[in-house]
Amino acid sequence: MSGKKEREKRRQQRLREEREAGAAERRSRLLKLSAGLAFVALAVLVVVIVVNASSGGGGDVDLEGVEEVNRELRGIPQDGMALGDPKAPVELIEFGDLQCPACAAYAQQILPQVIEGPIKRGEAKLVFRNFTIIGPESLDAGAAAIAAGAQGRAWSFIEIFFRNQGGENAGYVTDDFVEAVARAAGVRNLGRFRREAKAEKAKREVEATTRQAKRLGLTGTPTFAVRGPGSEGLEILDVGSPVDLEAAIEAAGETG
Amino acid sequence: MRIPSEGTLRKAIAFVATLGVGVASYIAISEAGGGAPACIAGGGGCAKVAESSYSEVAGINVAVIGIVGYLLILATAFVSGDLGRFGGFALTLGGFGYSIFLTYLEIFKIEAICQWCVASAVLMTILFALNATRLIGYGGTDAGQVAAERG
Repeated sequence: MSGKKEREKRRQQRLREEREAGAAERRSRLLKLSAGLAFVALAVLVVVIVVNASSGGGGDVDLEGVEEVNRELRGIPQDGMALGDPKAPVELIEFGDLQCPACAAYAQQILPQVIEGPIKRGEAKLVFRNFTIIGPESLDAGAAAIAAGAQGRAWSFIEIFFRNQGGENAGYVTDDFVEAVARAAGVRNLGRFRREAKAEKAKREVEATTRQAKRLGLTGTPTFAVRGPGSEGLEILDVGSPVDLEAAIEAAGETG
Repeated sequence: MRIPSEGTLRKAIAFVATLGVGVASYIAISEAGGGAPACIAGGGGCAKVAESSYSEVAGINVAVIGIVGYLLILATAFVSGDLGRFGGFALTLGGFGYSIFLTYLEIFKIEAICQWCVASAVLMTILFALNATRLIGYGGTDAGQVAAERG
């Protein structure tokens, strides 16, 4: 009887030892796995931070002329793609391509006087319509301008874009670039901007205004058109100086 | 130093993870409205962080990813045995690493600090410490057996 008890005790002892050995092995495996995982996580973290630190990113695009544009447009209402008093009687429309060097030159040499004059005085508003003639990047840039316009910053966006324009279809119209321009232009909700700039709606709008420009028989950018109480519908202008543009605005604003 | 019982650790994990769900939900709801979480100490840091390109990953708001992460960590507090221990450790390890990355972005890239993000990083750090303690203290053992042997 006591021998049986002894054997049972030894069996229990052996089982306990086996269980403990199994648990120790399981524990050792689990801890090794966890240590490996922690090591991999650390390595991934270091790599991601090093890559990120050397890659720049959206916040690091250096933009020129931001202060100048802010000064030029300060205090002028912006609504959608329009700059100036929404109730202004005359509409001066620019059919432009954000990649077009001539449009950039106009933005810096011709338009400032018009903005300072009739636009600021509330006699006319300046409306930008995308007429993409240069390439696929024009479509992306134009859609981004529309997304900026949805937050009332289209003209700040357009003017800063023109002052930082790169080579035609050179690949500079990246997400980081347009986002940096939008940020500099004062677009408040950049998350919404990103979504809307990529959305089909904005691209369709760019394509629609491009079709409209073609229907009007336009062949190059920038082309200006004017509409007001003194004009016969939409009048395409063949002008090349601020004085001409101001004269056209004045003529379109004359009633009777 | 004596390790707290696994039950205590699991309760603590559940509590901190619930706070984390609250913080991440607040950030997500604030940003969904087009705004930014209010900063307790002012300074507009949250607006800058919320508007930055880093506030989204593949179109998903980081705060939403945070809510899902905290909910999963909360779930592991209710799972006993090695699955719960290892799951909690792996999730908080990822969360902790990601929090370090986000804090790095705030300081060096966005150059703005959002207190709500800092709060989340602190909670995630505590959760990582708790889950690491749970795994190292009790990993590979049967919870009931350990309790019996210790008791």
